[in-house]
Amino acid sequence: MDPQVFLTFGSFLKWIGIVASPVLLLPLLILVIPGPLHKAGQTLADGLDRSLDWVLRAAMLAAVLLFMLQLIVVIGSYALALTATWLSESVIYAFAAMFMLGAATALRDDAHVRVDILRPRFGENGRNWIELAGTYLLLFPICIRLLMAGEQGLTRSWTLFEGSRESDGLPILFLFKTLVPIFAVLLILAGLSVALKAALRLTGFAGSDDETTPQERHYGA
Amino acid sequence: MELELLLALLMFLTAIGALLAGYPVALTLGGVALLFALFGITLGVFPEPLLLSLPSRIQGGSIMQNETLIAVPLFVLMGVILERSRVAEDLLHIAGRLLGRMRGGLGYAVVLVGALLAASTGIVGATVITMTLIALPTMLAQKYDPKLATGTIAASGTLGQIIPPSIVLILLADAVSNAASQAANEMGIGSFVVSVGDLFAGALIPGLLLVGLYLSWIAVTAILKPEACPPVIDDDSPPLTGKEVAYGLGAPLFLIIAVLGAILSGVATPTEAASIGVAGALLLAGLRLSEAGDALLVRIIAGAFAALLFILVIRNVMDLRLGVATTDAITLVGIAVIVVSAILFLAGTVAGMIILHRRGFLSLALKSGVHITSMVFLILIGASLFSLVFRGFGGDDMVADLLHAIPGGRWGALIGAMLVMFVLGFFLDFIEIVFVVVPLVTPPLIIMGFDPVWLGILMALNLQTSFLTPPFGFALFYLRGAAPGSVQTIEIWRGALPFIGLQLLMILAVAFIPQLATWLPSLQAN
Repeated sequence: MDPQVFLTFGSFLKWIGIVASPVLLLPLLILVIPGPLHKAGQTLADGLDRSLDWVLRAAMLAAVLLFMLQLIVVIGSYALALTATWLSESVIYAFAAMFMLGAATALRDDAHVRVDILRPRFGENGRNWIELAGTYLLLFPICIRLLMAGEQGLTRSWTLFEGSRESDGLPILFLFKTLVPIFAVLLILAGLSVALKAALRLTGFAGSDDETTPQERHYGA
Repeated sequence: MELELLLALLMFLTAIGALLAGYPVALTLGGVALLFALFGITLGVFPEPLLLSLPSRIQGGSIMQNETLIAVPLFVLMGVILERSRVAEDLLHIAGRLLGRMRGGLGYAVVLVGALLAASTGIVGATVITMTLIALPTMLAQKYDPKLATGTIAASGTLGQIIPPSIVLILLADAVSNAASQAANEMGIGSFVVSVGDLFAGALIPGLLLVGLYLSWIAVTAILKPEACPPVIDDDSPPLTGKEVAYGLGAPLFLIIAVLGAILSGVATPTEAASIGVAGALLLAGLRLSEAGDALLVRIIAGAFAALLFILVIRNVMDLRLGVATTDAITLVGIAVIVVSAILFLAGTVAGMIILHRRGFLSLALKSGVHITSMVFLILIGASLFSLVFRGFGGDDMVADLLHAIPGGRWGALIGAMLVMFVLGFFLDFIEIVFVVVPLVTPPLIIMGFDPVWLGILMALNLQTSFLTPPFGFALFYLRGAAPGSVQTIEIWRGALPFIGLQLLMILAVAFIPQLATWLPSLQAN
């Protein structure tokens, strides 16, 4: 198929993103004029969380695939001395998909490690402000920079329909590389949901965060 | 000082300050680095192309295609599946019944259970919390000294970091082996090879010696202060069931033999062994959690064990390498049996998943597996952005110069690096330290002439100790969160002290007798 179709579609998606980006300011607007906007904020946050559930399911499926494919690789090479590049590459694809998709829902469900020493002392409002500041000063810049920096390489990859370097590898390296912008967009959406909820709590339109004692939340590896 | 170095230093300090605000560590590290890089570009002291290379770094062999780290999600999955199948509860029940009547018996039980869990699941937070919830109330009810009880639980829980298979050791192996090839490059010699298997083998003896030290400490306490750990007199726990004993002892032992045995004997790479471990965990969890309605699934699981046996036997009596072996009728039959067995084995793991799903545990286990893995790898992404920018400012040379400037030659540099890691370990998770600090300090240390594997083991012991050290040791936080309110925090802190002493003893032993860490890996190499 003509790569030009996909490139046009890609730049279409990019423009949708640019046009939609003012929505990222909604949490800040809620802080200024909560009255008319809190409903929209709540609806958007709920919608985002529900959509992220599907992403989590995809990541869980990738986890199962990772284990199954790796097991097949092991049995094949141990018992029959069979190796296939496409099979070991699909293990890597499942591995990468698991955390590139999972990172966003982990952010939504607060599974990322935090330094908990001072956190309990900031009080609830303090924690909400930190959440907002972190989203705008740290999370969004990283993701936007990642999208910008990756555009050129991704365009080239799709133009060539770049495949594996090995002759018996998977022909879909361009899809694998597309996981990076997907990861960035998902993190932005999860960050938006977190920021919306923090803004709603700050303006009194949502119940308090059920911040359990810090040590219970972070389970660690 | 030059402007770049000033920025590198400022960036490091800003990152530490920002981390204390409590926003997720991965994004704080990456975000602070990005802001400083943009600032540096404006000032003309940071090369912009470096920042553009970020997506290709994420896609490349250090993160998304990192074959070493595939073992991480697999071991995490194995751990969360075992956790859901209540193996810790069964083990504690068995050990408590068997050893409880001895003076100090419950203490021995906690240490041994901690060691078995470390060698099978290896998730520190989960181990400490489970043991605190189950063993601590029993120990307190039997009038154990709360200090001894909490110290034993916290220390035994952290064994998961040092006894292989451990996530820390996998991540460390990746970081140390990168550092070693960087050092070899600068020294202009061939390359050092540091594999996950090397660190697993190297950590085994120190890990087992630590178990011995903990046990002896309890034995000494039982003699000197018998009132601190009295024997259990009236045991009101329910009697053991056959299923509990078979599963509680059988599952960890089976997995330890299958997984560690395969890695240490060189039959399988850690990643391969980890997938066998997940399969084993699924089969065993399926058996443990099966109920009357699952008879068919249980039969499939039993068939899977038989299939495994077939594969092992046939593989070792026949040469079935396709393309190499002759293709006579017997070989074809052998291949057919192997293929059927493999399908049956896979079906067994699916049956295990179905049973877990029926009990409502499958999606919980997969969800925490995905979340823990994503947490680790987001830190890897954030930390690699941080390291990229820090290097762009020339910060790595600064660290090397600092290490050289410490008085006392290479030993001074080693002690300095270890102290920094120890202090950072109070408030950073081991993952951040491994991804940020280890790549900076390890290459200079290797160039000074230290053995990479030995360095890796010392670092692992060091990080494990800081997990245990008040006031901010993570194990103590987990314990505090799960312990009853009647146990005072100060008691938890004082209880940890003797075990920290034992840890230091072990670190010194490995420092002065490097063979403790290097002997097993050298055997493996031959």
